[in-house]
Amino acid sequence: MLSPDFLPLWIALGAIPGAISRYYLTVILTEWTGGEFPLGTFLINLSGAVLIGFWATLLPAFSPGTILNGFIIVGFLGAYTTFSTYALDTSNLLKQGSYRRALLYGLGSPVVGFLGVEGGMALAQPFLQG
Amino acid sequence: MLNQPVVRTIAAIALGAIAGALSRYYLVQGLTQMLGTHLPYGTLVVNISGCFAMGLLATLFLGPVITVHPDLRLLLLTGFLGSYTTFSSYELDSARLLMEERFQAELIYWGGSALVGFFSLQGGMTLANWLVNQVERHWFG
Repeated sequence: MLSPDFLPLWIALGAIPGAISRYYLTVILTEWTGGEFPLGTFLINLSGAVLIGFWATLLPAFSPGTILNGFIIVGFLGAYTTFSTYALDTSNLLKQGSYRRALLYGLGSPVVGFLGVEGGMALAQPFLQG
Repeated sequence: MLNQPVVRTIAAIALGAIAGALSRYYLVQGLTQMLGTHLPYGTLVVNISGCFAMGLLATLFLGPVITVHPDLRLLLLTGFLGSYTTFSSYELDSARLLMEERFQAELIYWGGSALVGFFSLQGGMTLANWLVNQVERHWFG
């Protein structure tokens, strides 16, 4: 199970909980906030960015193999975060005429996501030295 | 078991997610071998093509021409396209370009992904509207 031949299996096993948690988190957050702002996808992409910064820094030090990388980074985080829904949400906000929200979301997602990766990398540092 | 809505929802998303994540993985591997690692071409191509498909399918499914079962919608849009495209790798790639101090490449990849992804989605929507118009004109006109 830990041989590189099983990598596709580990990617699939990570992708299933990734996509399902994205779906249910989006549904719950849309119900809470009324759905005027795509907060679900925004928070998912932000938290996924923090997590990828964290794990991409830690994994090479502790587990040089590709299995955990496939499971966490390619599978889970790859499926948990999404780029196509981000573009669709931005386009929908523009069509509704919510220009300020469209700008905030369309520009804010890449900026906050970038800062999230940097934050995740910083969070991993103490574990590397310890 | 499959007559329970929750089970069908989870099964549809899971099936789409497996196919989406694996096609992303193999496409990124193939493109990296073909084009090298100068820029993260793989994730770029995956995200832009996924945006196009999202614009096309989301518009077609809303229109009057094609009726799809909600479970198939979940499988294709939430499961497949949601997992095929990825935001976390896109941001990780951007951060790595910055760490290598390749500022121009970073800006082109980071800003370009968001901008080209958006216009690619519009392209998919335009194609969907054109297809719907063609069908309406030829079959119902």
